[in-house]
Amino acid sequence: MRLTVNGRVHTLDSALPLSLLELLRDRLALTGTKFVCGRGECGACTVQLDGETVYSCLTLAEACDGATVLTVEGLAPGGGEPSLSPLQRAFIAKDAAQCGFCTPGQLMAAHTLLARNPHPTDDEIRSGMSGNLCRCGTYPKILAAVRAVADGEFAGSAGSAEAGSAEAGSVNAA
Amino acid sequence: MPRKTKGAAKPGGFVQTTVEIEGRTETRIVEIPAFEPAAWGTDAELGIVGARVPRMDAPERVSGRARYTTDIVRPGMLHAAIVRSTIPRGTIRSLDASRARAMPGVLDVLGPGDAPAGTRLFGREIFYAGQPIAAVCAATGHAARSAAHAIAVEYDTLPFAVTFEDATAKDAPKVRAKGNVMENAPLVISRGDMDAGLKAADVIVRREYRTPVQLHTALEPHGAVAEWEGDRLTVWESTQGIFRVRENVSKALGISLSKVRVIKDYMGGGFGAKNGAGPHTYVAALFAKRQGRAVRCINDREAEQTDSGNRPSSTQRVTIGAKKDGTLTAIFASIDVPLGISGWEGGPGQIYHELYACPNVRTEETFAYVNASGMAAFRGPGYVEGAFGLESAMNALAKELKLDPVAFRVKNFAKREPRTDRPYSGNSLLQCYKEGAEVFGWSTNDQRPMTNDRLRVGKGMAAQVWPTGGGPPAYALVRMNSDATVDVLAGTQDLGTGARTVLSQIAAESLGAKLSDVRAIIGDTQSLPYTGNSWGSMTTASVGPAVRMAAEDARRQLFEAAGAMFDAAPDALEARDSRIVVRDTDRTMTFAEVTAKLGNVMIIGKGSRGPNPADTAIMTFGAQFAEVEVDLDTGIVRVLRIVAAHDAGRIINPTLAESQLEGGIIQGLGYALFEERVLDRRLGLVMNPTIHDYKIPTMADIPLIDAFFVAGADPVANHTGARGIAEPPMIPAAPAIAAAVSDAIGADVTEIPLTPWRVLAAIAAKARR
Ligand code: FES
Ligand code: FES
Repeated sequence: MRLTVNGRVHTLDSALPLSLLELLRDRLALTGTKFVCGRGECGACTVQLDGETVYSCLTLAEACDGATVLTVEGLAPGGGEPSLSPLQRAFIAKDAAQCGFCTPGQLMAAHTLLARNPHPTDDEIRSGMSGNLCRCGTYPKILAAVRAVADGEFAGSAGSAEAGSAEAGSVNAA
Repeated sequence: MPRKTKGAAKPGGFVQTTVEIEGRTETRIVEIPAFEPAAWGTDAELGIVGARVPRMDAPERVSGRARYTTDIVRPGMLHAAIVRSTIPRGTIRSLDASRARAMPGVLDVLGPGDAPAGTRLFGREIFYAGQPIAAVCAATGHAARSAAHAIAVEYDTLPFAVTFEDATAKDAPKVRAKGNVMENAPLVISRGDMDAGLKAADVIVRREYRTPVQLHTALEPHGAVAEWEGDRLTVWESTQGIFRVRENVSKALGISLSKVRVIKDYMGGGFGAKNGAGPHTYVAALFAKRQGRAVRCINDREAEQTDSGNRPSSTQRVTIGAKKDGTLTAIFASIDVPLGISGWEGGPGQIYHELYACPNVRTEETFAYVNASGMAAFRGPGYVEGAFGLESAMNALAKELKLDPVAFRVKNFAKREPRTDRPYSGNSLLQCYKEGAEVFGWSTNDQRPMTNDRLRVGKGMAAQVWPTGGGPPAYALVRMNSDATVDVLAGTQDLGTGARTVLSQIAAESLGAKLSDVRAIIGDTQSLPYTGNSWGSMTTASVGPAVRMAAEDARRQLFEAAGAMFDAAPDALEARDSRIVVRDTDRTMTFAEVTAKLGNVMIIGKGSRGPNPADTAIMTFGAQFAEVEVDLDTGIVRVLRIVAAHDAGRIINPTLAESQLEGGIIQGLGYALFEERVLDRRLGLVMNPTIHDYKIPTMADIPLIDAFFVAGADPVANHTGARGIAEPPMIPAAPAIAAAVSDAIGADVTEIPLTPWRVLAAIAAKARR
């Protein structure tokens, strides 16, 4: 089977008795996507499959032949900080990741939400994101981050992913 | 926090001191640091400490690059799965692993009698459902899990007890080898004269409150990867305490401390449940030894929800009395806690003694063992449960007295810590009441807007206290590299709390370095100096001062070196933004220019945490205000708004600290409304071991939260002026929400979580009266 993940084409044994999550984590070493419940209850394994939000723990790898998958590693092409996506930069600026274990799933859910509905209301964000659990309680910050991206606050590829750390150097002036 | 410090406090010498951790007291010998920096007072001019700096490791966390224990892969790594008892009490008659051994990929099985005694694993006697009884090692996680299911076990069952009532009944079954009740029960803490206190009261309120078992439900389960190199063992573990894991593993397996290395880089939440090694750690280490390959053992979700610690339930029978003017005269609580098969007395009682200046207070706590998985510390252990009882009773009494709940609390404010009659290092609780009430609109917003007949709005509030002084021992090194970047080295942990960022801020501030040049290196017992567990909200207050001292030591050396280069006296130098200035001149030199000249001559500053001030109570305070909407037809509660005002001394990073407040409030909201482990009394099994059936809050449940700190610094507590904050916000959330529900429906609520049927029952009970 052929599978495109984050823009890269993979040719794989088609009889893999795996979930898409196991394929990503164990075969392709893309460990950004997390396993928490394995039963569609938490959203930690959320990825984008052909433009749709899916729980990769409940998606059979075999059923993904010819599909295109986007994972958290693909949000910042090149993986380097200068290319972090607006959502990733917003998550940093709004402090939307505490332990960060739910964060990849949150980002992917929000990414697909905004792709389909670039100007959601707060309630649409709340209901759109309520399939992704966070035990650290980052929800208010996630809402703020998604809101900010929808409002164009992080528009442009504006290089400085270091929004986080680089700005930090200038706080002396604050 | 220490209550007594013995011996002369000579710099560089050692003294004996008492430290309080999660409500337990330990006596320790600690070092008096050779020098201690002058405390940053309230008016200290600080630029980086106190700034809203973004979390420094956030880029790793949002890009999928952060590696958690579940992501660790070692060459040739094998996988282990644990088999668990399906009965609550009995003995294993037979365990047949022959089918499992024959399955593809399976390499090894450990069963009864196969683990060293120190691990306390795989005994034949069963004490609770979920107890590890065997383990399988296989080439893949799949194979290990399938083989674990193929192990056939026969049991001889024994009678069991999973409730407090059943375990303490006259003819109760033997829950465990020793007694069913913790020795010396009940645990009595008392001051004053209860009879006199009750006699002096004009109004007395009596209530029975109940709280549920709450599960930590960290999204990353407990897990470990173990690998041996000769007789040296390396363990990657998702833990709040790398040095404690090292000690546990060393004891359990009988290997010397220095031969065990524990590493923790990123972890997906702990909340108190990850304070040491566990069965998964020992299983990984034992299989790794037997197979000569690395082994990963990660709990599955069911194990995580059934056997990874919990906040025990409680029944609190409370009697409190006050004079007409609101002066408290008596607080009494008789408390029952079923601990599970193991646990400690971090019970609900303490907060009854600590929050108010009442002369007569008595708690009687009975801790029973039951045939269920043991309890563990869970964010504000004891205080969260106790606050629900105490603060609910305070609100009920305020109502009887026709006093405003805030005014009632202000009236009973404790000017000194009332349990031990010590002064506070600092206490701005009154300011929390005032500012919280103002922001909430507590006294102005008194109407009950009703959208229709079904929806009622109510408001409520509650307060909080929590011991958060931190303390020694904790050590740190600050190293300047030859490219002028700075490494902070400390064997601590970042649970998602922001420790890396906060410690880097303290180092940058003290050294005069650019924050972007500073990096905190944490989480490795082999290469980093000792610090304690990240528990009791004490990392910032314990490790922060050690980091500050190390950075000051590094700056002193840097100034010596630069002084020689500038031909200036070291004490004429100042540093800021990684640049050194000779005071009152225009001569400057960057750190990089100095380190380039030094080449491989290194500057390494060393710091340690000194003892706390003697006979001083170091505590964090807060008040929370809640507004809820209750649907009278369905019993569904929606929290509309929470305002939280807390006092934790100096806040190193307000953004990260507010995230801690929100996180605690949201876990408290779950505790108030949804979260409850259901353990069937007749089966002895957990009925809701999944995240679907055990409900934690989702984004759709989140109210508007306005959480903030009242201004301040606490230079008496330690020289950074900071106290702990992670646990406190969870403490008052549930009683504040319950009070708001009670206000909305016009009836008392005495049991959480406030599920729809409990709310409907309270409404119905009121209608019957
Ligand atoms: S791991 Fe897929 S939904 Fe929980
Ligand atoms: S940030 Fe920890 S679970 Fe969401």
